[in-house]
Amino acid sequence: MAGRANIPTNSSALIAVIADEDTVTGFLLAGVGNVDLRKKTNYLIVDNKTTVKQIEDAFKEFTSREDIAIVLISQYVANMIRFLVDGYNKPVPAILEIPSKDHPYDPAHDSVLSRVKYLFSSESVASERR
Amino acid sequence: MAAAVEDPRLLGSVPGAEDAVEVDGAVEEGGRARDGDGDEEILRFMDSVDGYLLLMDSLSSALRQGWLDLASARHSMGPSRVSSTLFNHQEQSASTKLQVVDDADLKPSESKPLFTLSKWGLQEESASNNGAPVQAGSKPKLRHRGSATIPEDGKHERDAITAESSTCVDYSSHVQRARSKALSVFGGLVSPKLRTAQISFETALELIVELANSRSNMLASFSQIKE
Repeated sequence: MAGRANIPTNSSALIAVIADEDTVTGFLLAGVGNVDLRKKTNYLIVDNKTTVKQIEDAFKEFTSREDIAIVLISQYVANMIRFLVDGYNKPVPAILEIPSKDHPYDPAHDSVLSRVKYLFSSESVASERR
Repeated sequence: MAAAVEDPRLLGSVPGAEDAVEVDGAVEEGGRARDGDGDEEILRFMDSVDGYLLLMDSLSSALRQGWLDLASARHSMGPSRVSSTLFNHQEQSASTKLQVVDDADLKPSESKPLFTLSKWGLQEESASNNGAPVQAGSKPKLRHRGSATIPEDGKHERDAITAESSTCVDYSSHVQRARSKALSVFGGLVSPKLRTAQISFETALELIVELANSRSNMLASFSQIKE
């Protein structure tokens, strides 16, 4: 049937995580870890040896998989691939930037809030109403 | 005269001016209604942004508690026992998943997916409570005290309550088993702090699902305002 969404209505889907070791460990304790037949996981642990290319590849893979509905990414990791994260605009999977132990959440860098922030500018609102 | 009234075009500028005033009034009313709708949408958008930021603040607190408990567990159990090197890379299915309801016919800019968490393989009730289960004994009934003959309705009510409590016990034992299985990656005996870290991250997951729904609402309102 033409025009189907990637994830059919009411199917179960996974949560992917791209974050530091402790954050990934915590979410795996909460039961989100998944390993498929090809040994592909739904998480990537980012440490000081992880390259930007690996993070980019993981982000592209998770956002193109049909069985993933939410991608959690630490905000400091998202900053490394900001162009990719800001360029993403599909409703599913939803990209959520989360804080990490050493980097608290900064709303100024959040891609979702950046997309809508121009509405908060008084000049743009006034010009729309004229 | 009647014909002139019926056909105002023949009468000249005075009826035309009245018509113009009426038309202007209708346009002004329509404009006010449109502005009202726009204001409502903007308010809805601002509410969703505020909700998003509050949820993010709660998420930060839950995660902080989880990291602290994890650090305490690592301190008491030893760094080698709470490490990513112990993760199981065998094929396994996630116990905690999401249910997504999304309209396939809408464009991506109009789409407003609804996420529901399914913790430990069990479906949680959605926020709108559309699928709320009927509670046992919800109908008001008269009680018969000290009566030798117990009415049939009372027996059904007791059976329903017994069934409900046994369902609750099954649910809770299922959740305990699932939690223990997730903890078993780190060995048979684990620190209580690891268990509390698990609960903190479960709470974080619930907040994350609410955040995802809040994000959907925010982006949908934003699209409406842009239009």
